[in-house]
Amino acid sequence: MKGASEEMRLHDRVRSNPRPAIVWAVGVAILVLLELGRIADGLVRAGDITRIVLSLIASVPLWVGRNVAAELPGSIGMLMGNVAVIITTALLMLVIAPLILRLLPGGSIADRHNVTNTPEYRLAVDLVVVTGLLLVGFAALAYTPVGALADAMSRTIGDGVRTVGHLPTITGRETIPNEGHRLPDGGWAGTFLGLSPAWAWGIRVGVIYGYAFVALAWAWVGYTTYRSYYRVADWTPRDDSINRMRRHWWGLFGLTVVFAFVVMAIWAPSLGPVDIQHNHFQPYQHEFTYLSEDGEVESILHGSANLDTRSQGGASTVGIWSYDQYDRWAPLGTATNGADLFTVLAFGARTSLVIGLVSIGLGTMIALALSLITAYYKGLIDVLTVVTSDAIISIPAFLFVLLISVLFQQADHPIADVYDGGLLLALIFAAVYWPGLWRSIRGPSLQVAEGEWVDAARSYGQRPMTIMRKHMAPYVATYILIYASLLLGGIIIATAALSFLGLGVTHPTPEWGRIVDQGRSYVGTSAWHVSTVPGLMIVLVVTGFNALGDALRDAIDPESTGGGAADATAAGGGG
Amino acid sequence: MSEQLQERRTADTDSETLVEVRELRTYYESNRLFGGNPVKAVDGVSFDIRRGETLGLVGESGCGKTTLGRTLLRLERATGGTVRFDGRDVTKLAGTELKAWRRNAQIVFQDPDSSLNDRMTVGEIVREPLDVHEWRMPGDRRERVRELLDTVGLHPEHYYRYPHQFSGGQRQRINIARTLTLEPEFIVLDEPVSALDVSVQAEIINLLEDLQDEFGLTYLFIAHDLSVVKHISDRVAVMYLGKLMEIGPTEVVFTEPANPYTHALLSAIPVPDPTAADGRIRLHGTPPNPRHPPSGCVFKTRCPMRIKPADYPDMPDAVWDAIILLEDLLAERERMMGTIGWRVREMIGRTPAVGTIDEIYAELFGELDVPASVESVLEEIAAAARGGNHGRAIERLDDAFGGPCSADAPAVEAVGTDTRFSRCHRHQEPYPSPRAVLEAQSPE
Repeated sequence: MKGASEEMRLHDRVRSNPRPAIVWAVGVAILVLLELGRIADGLVRAGDITRIVLSLIASVPLWVGRNVAAELPGSIGMLMGNVAVIITTALLMLVIAPLILRLLPGGSIADRHNVTNTPEYRLAVDLVVVTGLLLVGFAALAYTPVGALADAMSRTIGDGVRTVGHLPTITGRETIPNEGHRLPDGGWAGTFLGLSPAWAWGIRVGVIYGYAFVALAWAWVGYTTYRSYYRVADWTPRDDSINRMRRHWWGLFGLTVVFAFVVMAIWAPSLGPVDIQHNHFQPYQHEFTYLSEDGEVESILHGSANLDTRSQGGASTVGIWSYDQYDRWAPLGTATNGADLFTVLAFGARTSLVIGLVSIGLGTMIALALSLITAYYKGLIDVLTVVTSDAIISIPAFLFVLLISVLFQQADHPIADVYDGGLLLALIFAAVYWPGLWRSIRGPSLQVAEGEWVDAARSYGQRPMTIMRKHMAPYVATYILIYASLLLGGIIIATAALSFLGLGVTHPTPEWGRIVDQGRSYVGTSAWHVSTVPGLMIVLVVTGFNALGDALRDAIDPESTGGGAADATAAGGGG
Repeated sequence: MSEQLQERRTADTDSETLVEVRELRTYYESNRLFGGNPVKAVDGVSFDIRRGETLGLVGESGCGKTTLGRTLLRLERATGGTVRFDGRDVTKLAGTELKAWRRNAQIVFQDPDSSLNDRMTVGEIVREPLDVHEWRMPGDRRERVRELLDTVGLHPEHYYRYPHQFSGGQRQRINIARTLTLEPEFIVLDEPVSALDVSVQAEIINLLEDLQDEFGLTYLFIAHDLSVVKHISDRVAVMYLGKLMEIGPTEVVFTEPANPYTHALLSAIPVPDPTAADGRIRLHGTPPNPRHPPSGCVFKTRCPMRIKPADYPDMPDAVWDAIILLEDLLAERERMMGTIGWRVREMIGRTPAVGTIDEIYAELFGELDVPASVESVLEEIAAAARGGNHGRAIERLDDAFGGPCSADAPAVEAVGTDTRFSRCHRHQEPYPSPRAVLEAQSPE
């Protein structure tokens, strides 16, 4: 790595030695093609969520306008309402403009037109220009045929992606079906290669985990390829951390558990032996066929069949690793309502992960931003943050979560309906747990803010925002990663605990804690599995996240001596 | 830019002032909720730095020299006074003006371990100032960084290395390269070599001198290592407790120090000759708390040449020393016992063991032959202190023995030539100069 080769950008370096990159890219392409349908489906969902968020934002100006119009009498109200709509729209655009400015290639518009003046003036010019363009663009979309055209175009693209979303994938239920009925002569109809449902399901689970593992391994191969062929630096501080992580057996155990958990959440629709829509959400709208005792192939509604497979300790209990009387394969038995337990648990993993990630993501963002700002500026904002966080911490976290969630549910707030209370729970967790995260990274933040490299950056006039992002955040972010992974386990427990009490995520969205609650009274009977299995899974997953957090800490900060603060946080997070 | 700079430099006369500091004050914690005494880290400092010269700034640790350097660069906010840079007061700059000015003044920090962001490559570190000031195009910036790495004695291919991969001396070179990127005129060197091995120190010092010649730089060289300062500086400023005690050309200050503090400081330089007489002046006590600097001359509590009160010409030196110590102790006791915490502890009878006034007297004066005139005043002081009225005791002591050093702060006086200034009452008539005092003491 000498001389001319250093001048080159990444794509030049790839061009000069394309082989390893091409091999890796081909691998990625194969992996993507195998799961194209699922990826397109994911895109459609992401698009749907984005559209909901955007339409929410877009409705703000009209909402403000209506409120203003309602407050003022008659025509003045109408007029002021319209003015309010325009002002709010302009303000919104002004918020969006800097984001677009950053994305613009070639930098400042004012620069390109030789408007030479102070940087503030240039920025103002840029903002005004972009805001104006945005306003014109939105007006065109709203009031001219351009809007209809754009709508049609996005619809076409959406439909295209949707069509791709229906393509079969290697891990799909359709590719390796396991739902079928016994044939009178002993074989199976409708299952993969005529195998028994148990085998077909087992193969599908194997394929899913195999695929996920290969994808993960291939990502690692990509990293090592980059590291050995294309990275200019022959060593970075991160290399040491990764090497330490690779030898950390407890951490690798945690990583494995977390990996299995995440795969379960992502592939939940394919993992269950039955389709959750058919079996759990709408059991009285879907039929399946089975071989009756008279040797006839008959149809029955899932709902009706579930009535005979309820695991409540009686004769209808379907235990672990068995078929029910309608020949449906139930690897973990059935739940108290007769639905397949494994299917419900897989979707429960998705619920836990979504709540955990949303709340940790939000909480981490709040904590990181506040820790950087308070450590850099100190003074009044620091005092205010300390007071606020102490006020939140002083209330027992679990009680606080309980109070707020009951409040929202009793008030029938629309937010409490999203995901059957899941979103509300995630938001509450973010609000309750950010002070803990903030406090745990406050020390490192203050320490970093005193670093001489921060003073050096100030001495040549670096902007405070950039100093925080470039010179402080990388140091603090590693710490917050540790605490976030530890806290994620705590949030999974707390979600389960709330649902156990009947407050968190309500029916029908599957949630582990609620299943534990439902099976609670049958622990002493033949239906012991209903509570025990999800309980063990909670324990395993939380242990996994804690192990991962410990390993991250050891990898990032090898001088730390295990135990201590991080463990205390983990215990605290367990609520 | 560097060409312009060279031109300007050759066009100007040597004596043109680049940095003009007047009555600069930097107080910490002066805006606390309940007022209170601020820490006077820099307290009324005035000096000039001429273009192209190196001004050495020496003093014990904690005397405020680093704060002074940081205040000049606007890393600390000045409480008062002005810093004129090329005739412009930079203490009031803000926004874009401040950012533009920052190109002209840079700093090299003491600790090469903590002054580099070790998550960034050397190239990114050195390049950042150029990015901040949007210097030309990115390609040009990379090229410039490579040149600079070469200039400071590193290899251009170190661009993609991380600071972890370098030794202390090399890291300090990276630091120097970063300060040079924007072609500043003025660089504050805050103990740039004190964290390095001796062999490496010489390399860095030579590098700094070469760079000064090459780019026409002006240095403020902060150090506590006097031999390094002597080597690199054109002029030297001596600082004590936030005040400048003496300033003058290096050669003269080192050979003929004017101020008693400079005498003491220089006498602490070890002489590599075991047979040489130990001419060391030992200072008693520690530097006073900058939150409560002594009245009058800040050095009076430790000064070996403090002017004796005129009313007691026969007082033996030993008694005089003991009285100076007593003054310090009384001030200390007043501060301590005046606090609310002390009163509370006194009420519940849990005061920590501090000696009574009589114990202090026994220790200070017990074996001394105190003249009767002094004795009577000491008795009055003791009586006031025993009654808990330390303020009264101090007042009485000051009244009787304070002398000129306690009465008012010494003015800055030109010593010998008009390039040399010192703050000491002994530069005034009729008191003998510090040098004379020292010579009178040494024959023994």
